[in-house]
Order: sequence, then structure tokens, then C-alpha cells
Amino acid sequence: MQPIKNIKDIPEFDLLTGGSSVCAGCGPSMGLKLALKVLGPKTIIINSAGCMTLLPLFPNTPLKVSWIHNAIENAATTAAGARHGLDALGIKDMNVVVYAGDGATYDIGFASLSATAIKNERVIYICYNNQAYGNTGFQCTTATPYGSDTKTTPRGKENPIGNTTIHKDMLKLMGVHRVYCATASLAYPVDFLNKINKAKERDGFSYIELLGTCATGWNFDPRYTIKISRLAVRCGMWPLYEIDDRKLSLNKEFKELKPVDEYLQLQGRYKQLPPDGVIKLQSLVNEHWAELNEFNEKRYV
Amino acid sequence: MREEELSYKGIHGIPVILEPGNAARVDRSSWRLVRPVYNKDKCTMCKICYTYCPDSAIAWTKEGPVINLTSCKGCMICVEECPTNAMTQEKESS
Ligand SMILES: Cc1ncc(C[n+]2csc(CCOP(=O)(O)OP(=O)(O)O)c2C)c(N)n1
Ligand code: SF4
Ligand code: SF4
Ligand code: SF4
Ligand SMILES: [Mg+2]
Repeated sequence: MQPIKNIKDIPEFDLLTGGSSVCAGCGPSMGLKLALKVLGPKTIIINSAGCMTLLPLFPNTPLKVSWIHNAIENAATTAAGARHGLDALGIKDMNVVVYAGDGATYDIGFASLSATAIKNERVIYICYNNQAYGNTGFQCTTATPYGSDTKTTPRGKENPIGNTTIHKDMLKLMGVHRVYCATASLAYPVDFLNKINKAKERDGFSYIELLGTCATGWNFDPRYTIKISRLAVRCGMWPLYEIDDRKLSLNKEFKELKPVDEYLQLQGRYKQLPPDGVIKLQSLVNEHWAELNEFNEKRYV
Repeated sequence: MREEELSYKGIHGIPVILEPGNAARVDRSSWRLVRPVYNKDKCTMCKICYTYCPDSAIAWTKEGPVINLTSCKGCMICVEECPTNAMTQEKESS
């Protein structure tokens, strides 16, 4: 497939219908709907237990592609197994795709992900990162940003910051596996789908991380799903970049970032984060942004 | 509902769904507090609403977007993102 130039070029078929029981305005399900436009019908999705597991709910399914419900620990190795099975059958034209949450990716399934990546199996791994264990009620993962209120890091008198841990730099971690890695945002669908397309055309492992904007967990009106996805990029909370063969490329460059406060104010999970927490979060963002700019178009990991 | 009316059948007692995408018939209209309303005169056919509808409740046709009020959950992303206000919102009556 040729790279997509603008929104009007995005294919006009849907392999994920409506009628499922995910929340209204769910970012991760929008991400899957969009990804399938490039992946096409010859796709097997391996899904680790999480919010997206609710998409097919017997006796109804919104899916028009194959789907494997998987344990949270090992979606990546199940995908490698599916690829080997297809190879044994001589089937070459199937996409094997993992669609997994951040809890499954950063925490519980990390060993299986790392093993599959380092062996460079022909698998596209998409992590939809809603920055918590969404399906079980929004507990903290190692993808949860500093300052976020979650079930296990509640903001209160004793702990005004909420989550005090700084999230894992997952792209860097995946970059050292020498595979194709990229971040993506729903507010930049052309960039997202071209990254899926790039991964599809590779003969090896790819890791794509989509910010899984989640109205329910982040506590905002679902109408702002795209607005918040866009602000995350504009504020530097979710920079768009790729690491390919250990080299970094920034995909969206800005002379100046917007202050993180603009992003935080729209979401209940950051409500009443005290000023020193906002300052700390801003300094973490500035540090990361400076690092990305320093290594842009250079060897990064 | 009787077994023969369902769109799935058992294989050795394990039920399977026979029709991919049968969820499209599930009615989610009761989830809505507001509904999107389309005004063709203001539409520039930019496809933004179609791209962003998470529930595939907007079909794209030669005449532009067509909203399916069975699947629409009333998230209002299409209304918020439409650049020309061709999508507006209206309260559900009941
Ligand atoms: C080993 C294991 N621990 C806990 C669970 C319970 N569990 C089911 S879904 C889920 C949340 C997964 O979070 P994430 O991967 O981020 O996906 P999300 O729910 O946010 O979409 C958890 C903890 C499980 N299924 N398996
Ligand atoms: S909690 Fe978030 S990720 Fe989970 S279904 Fe709802 S909107 Fe989607
Ligand atoms: S309100 Fe939401 S679900 Fe309904 S058509 Fe618009 S984007 Fe789709
Ligand atoms: S977003 Fe608005 S202008 Fe664009 S196609 Fe939809 S209704 Fe028309
Ligand atoms: Mg999650």
C-alpha cells in the first residue's frame, strides 16, 4: 500500500462495527477501527485481557477479522506461535497483530514481548496505552504518568501527588531490541496509519504505541477524545517519534511546546494536582523533549 | 429468544458466532443523552467525522456522511471535531 497523504485517502471500509459494549468515545477501540483499515481482512488479532476484550461479547461481535482472546501475560508469544503456524501452512499474506493494553505490555506481559521482539518475529505489536489497568477499574501501571490519580495511587491529604512513580521509557526499551518502534496519536490518524503500513511491510517485529485516550479512566467528557489526544502531542506529553535500527526521528516538531497545564486541566485524573506537581511534570516533559531534539536523526539507543 | 433465531449455533456444545460483525445490529441508542444532527449545506465532505467515529456509526457515501442511530452512542466526537459545524447536537427527547 502507498503511504496515505491525507484523511480523505483513508480506506472507506470498516472491519470493526458498532454495537460493542466499550464506553462511548473509547479511544482504544477507535485506534483498532483505524488500524484495521490499513491491515485489511487478512489479519489475526491477538488481544491480551483488558478493555478491548469486551469488544466481542457472546453472542455478538463487532469484528470482521480473526481474534484470539489471550491471557494478559503472553500475547506476544501467542502471536509468534500463530506466525510459525502460518509459515508451516505456507500462508505468507496474513498480518499477525497484537492489540494489548499498557498493563499487559509494560508490566505483566513484558517478558514475552521482549523475547518475541529480540527474535525479530514477523509480528506487529500495537500497545494502546490508556495509562492504567482500565478494565479492572483504573489501577496504576508503570505507564501511568507522574501526578495521575488512580485507584491504587489516590490523591488525598497524605499523598497530594497521586502517582509518584515516573513511567517507564518504553520506546527506548523496545528500541534496544533493534526493532521498528513508533509512537502514535488518534489526533494524527494519517501519521498513525502510515506507521502501521510501514510495520506491515516489514519482515520482522514492529512495536507501535498509541496513546489510548480514555474518557472514563481519565475522567473527561468523551467529546474531547481527539482534542485531548492532540494536546498531548502539542504539550510534549506524547511526542510523535520513531526509532528504527536504533536511530531516532521526530515526526512532529514544534518550535515551542504548549504548557502541560492546558492538557492537565481538561482531565479529572489531574484535578487538584498541586502546583509543585505540575512544575515537576513540566520539567519531566521538558527533559524528554530536549533529549529527543538532541538525538533527532542520530543514533539514540 | 429461541436457539434457531440466534445468529450462532453450537459446535459440539460450544457456541460460536457465525456472522462476523453481527454486533452492528445491537441497539445502543439508549446510551445517548444527545444525538448528532447533520446539515448537508454546511458540509465540506472532509471525512473527519467518518474517520473519528469510534463506533463506526457514520457511513461514508457519495452524498457524504450518513449517521446510523442504532450504533451511535452519543459521544459527540463528530460534533466536536467537525470544522464547519455541519454536525450539531440535539437532546434526546426521553
Ligand atoms: C495475570 C493477570 N493478572 C490480572 C488480571 C486481571 N485483569 C484483567 S484485565 C486487566 C487490566 C489490563 O490492563 P491493560 O493491559 O492496561 O488493559 P486495559 O484494561 O487498560 O485496556 C487486569 C489487571 C489478569 N487477567 N491476569
Ligand atoms: S475504560 Fe477507557 S479504554 Fe476502557 S472501554 Fe472505557 S474508554 Fe475504552
Ligand atoms: S456521536 Fe459519537 S458515536 Fe455518534 S455518530 Fe458521532 S462520533 Fe459516532
Ligand atoms: S466533519 Fe463536518 S464537514 Fe467534515 S464530512 Fe463530517 S459533517 Fe461534513
Ligand atoms: Mg491500560
